[in-house]
Amino acid sequence: MQRMAGSSFPEEVLEHVFSFIQDGKDRNVISMVCKSWYEIERWSRRRVFVGNCYAISPRMLIRRFPEVRSVELKGKPHFADFNLVPEGWGGYVGPWIAAMAVAYPWLEEIRLKRMVVTDEGLELISKSFKNFKVLVLSTCEGFSTEGLAAIAANCRNLRELDLRESDVEDQSGHWLSHFPDNYTSLVSLNISCLGSEVSFSALERLVGRCPNLRTLRLNRAVPLDRLANLLRRAPQLVELGTGVYASELRPDVFSNLSGAFSGCKELRGLSGFWDVVPGYLPAVYPICSRLTSLNLSYATIQSPDLIKLVSQCQNLQRLWVLDYIEDAGLDVLAASCKDLQELRVFPSDPYEAEPNVSLSEQGLVSVSAGCPKLESVLYFCRQMSNAALRTIARNRPNMTRFRLCIIEPRTPDYVTLQPLDAGFGAIVEHCKDLQRLSLSGLLTDRVFEYIGTFAKKLEMLSVAFAGESDLGLHHILSGCENLRKLEIRDCPFGDKALLANAAKLETMRSLWMSSCSVSYGACKLLGQKLPRLNVEVIDERGHPNSRPESCPVEKLYIYRTVAGPRFDMPNFVWTMDEDSELRLS
Amino acid sequence: MELQLGLALPTNPTKGFDLNYYGYEPKEVVVSGLWFDGNNCYVSSHQDINIDDNKKRSFSQAFENSSTDRAVPRTLPLLLWNNRPNEEDDPKDPNNHHSLFAFNKNDDGDRDGVVGWPPIKSWRNNNNKRVCHDNQGGRRLLENAYAYCGGRRSNSMYVKVKMEGVAIGRKIDLTLHNSFQTLTDTLIDMFQKWLLETGQKNSNIYKLAYQDKEGDWLYTEDVSWRTFIGSVQRLKLLKSSSK
Repeated sequence: MQRMAGSSFPEEVLEHVFSFIQDGKDRNVISMVCKSWYEIERWSRRRVFVGNCYAISPRMLIRRFPEVRSVELKGKPHFADFNLVPEGWGGYVGPWIAAMAVAYPWLEEIRLKRMVVTDEGLELISKSFKNFKVLVLSTCEGFSTEGLAAIAANCRNLRELDLRESDVEDQSGHWLSHFPDNYTSLVSLNISCLGSEVSFSALERLVGRCPNLRTLRLNRAVPLDRLANLLRRAPQLVELGTGVYASELRPDVFSNLSGAFSGCKELRGLSGFWDVVPGYLPAVYPICSRLTSLNLSYATIQSPDLIKLVSQCQNLQRLWVLDYIEDAGLDVLAASCKDLQELRVFPSDPYEAEPNVSLSEQGLVSVSAGCPKLESVLYFCRQMSNAALRTIARNRPNMTRFRLCIIEPRTPDYVTLQPLDAGFGAIVEHCKDLQRLSLSGLLTDRVFEYIGTFAKKLEMLSVAFAGESDLGLHHILSGCENLRKLEIRDCPFGDKALLANAAKLETMRSLWMSSCSVSYGACKLLGQKLPRLNVEVIDERGHPNSRPESCPVEKLYIYRTVAGPRFDMPNFVWTMDEDSELRLS
Repeated sequence: MELQLGLALPTNPTKGFDLNYYGYEPKEVVVSGLWFDGNNCYVSSHQDINIDDNKKRSFSQAFENSSTDRAVPRTLPLLLWNNRPNEEDDPKDPNNHHSLFAFNKNDDGDRDGVVGWPPIKSWRNNNNKRVCHDNQGGRRLLENAYAYCGGRRSNSMYVKVKMEGVAIGRKIDLTLHNSFQTLTDTLIDMFQKWLLETGQKNSNIYKLAYQDKEGDWLYTEDVSWRTFIGSVQRLKLLKSSSK
């Protein structure tokens, strides 16, 4: 009998073929071809990404993928970044570490985002995984420098320690000294989020003895006059985050620094730049032409200095900057940096009603016209027009990420005083590959009609102070086929659209709604009828049962899961399910 | 296998968004839409006899009322909550959704900002020094983002608070306070619920301590408010008996 082609290959051959396929989505597809491919694939999967740590339990993950070497987990909803998720909501990595410590002794990489990590957890990591190489803690919290000391002391093969934007309780800078003297394998170190000083001599010795160091992001406490020494010990650096970029202007310090920068022939990315003294900026001019990435979002320097810097960075691909750059600076950017792919402009003074800088929609229009590769934008400004948005859309149909924040909620088109529906409509119509979109300004249900109609590749949508009725939400949920994450705040969306599109929620990773009009009754209904969703009501006013069922909940977080309801919630979060009627009464 | 779960896909995507098409072909009976009348739950599925041509009731049929031109669709009887008229449409209702999505007004009076808006990560605020123009028009660097710029406050400054003995910490916005009294009162109130739930009574026995920029822990009773606010990184409520 003729065997099917697939089963006549020995397993080893298939495994070898699969080893060339790293992407998780591709591997998921492979695993569905047939049972034997499922088995071979699951035993050979080395890298796993879990976008919502509550969507699956550690036990289930380990059961399916027994030989994993690299795990990435995400915890809290994105709006936690803006203080909308109360402390104690969850996202604890403890159970994951405990389970993996037993099941994955050869684990090499842990990447966490918005999770709560403890010192005990870090210590367990440092002692459980003999070949541990990469620890990335992005916007995490709950640990201190004590936990870092354990990592430094015990992880002999550590390559990467990246604490980006985490909230670390600083107890002492001496944790860095816990790296043993014979430890030399560091490739990437990011301590930019740490508040207090680290031991400079320990840092210099560490940098000096690690020949493979490529990325070094210092914290603000590292003074400028120590930077040159560090650079001379690591001339092979590719990415550098400076410490404070301020010091009394002295020619000897300047020339030392300038010489040190010039010696770094591989340097391609710069960040840091806290408290910049403009007189020291020319120290980096010699390397500007090689730079592909520049993060000046802490640099409180004015437009002329920014222009001098940016105009020399002809190879720039990514720029993060404060709105001090102004329209004039963005004009220069558009003229000088033809390879620009990503632009982020942050507000220098977002809480002032009046603009403090001359930055408007014009700057963004300029860059969209001048930079043909521009595909990712985050732009804070105070005025926008439909005409400008239309122009941007026509200029850049290759846009994939577009996040616009007009600082005052519900701001209309400043020229016509109309809603900005048509402008955003043009964005979604022309930018057919748009994956991420954040809306702002005055918006009616119409904009959601456009989004539902055109934004077929959209995966993540952020909505605030927009819309008029449930029709808006209905357009999104019924039209956006690839929607994975939807986060909404302060919009008049209620029960109708949510209930009518309930099944859609099982095709998405998560939905966040806060300060909207979804009633407790509707939440209960969703939770009871859709067992594959966790419907979490977050309400700090107290038990939802103490208010009428029609009363809107404060916050709502719905996510699909195969792990059932969680049990690590604080006393202001409730999961709606079949038992909730019993538990809450 | 991907199940088709009732995604409403308009057939003509350009003009005239067709709300009348709301059909799907399910591979098995799955819940795709729910109606709730306060007592019974109606589940729509392809076996629902009220639906012809296997098409679900269209959104316009279910939700729109042609006799009004209101933007908010009037609900049909199926969507009444406990047989009362739809409270969402009553602007006088105190539980009306408008009160929630209007600008978030806290009890702490004088804020004119909104929580978490503009969407800027708190560490950008808390870590940045603010450049400020003083009365002489000169420039002055101010500490810790709590900057008085011509009398106007920075929008928010969240720091973490832990209470000794409580597993879960909280976050508090220090820009809402200008004295230790209001701060302590608010904190006690915040943890009061936990204190009550765990049967602990005496909240007077806690003292407030803070960690400053150098990483040192100090009691607030030993410093002035100004010193405190310029340097505080995080807070802790400690039992008076401990040191």
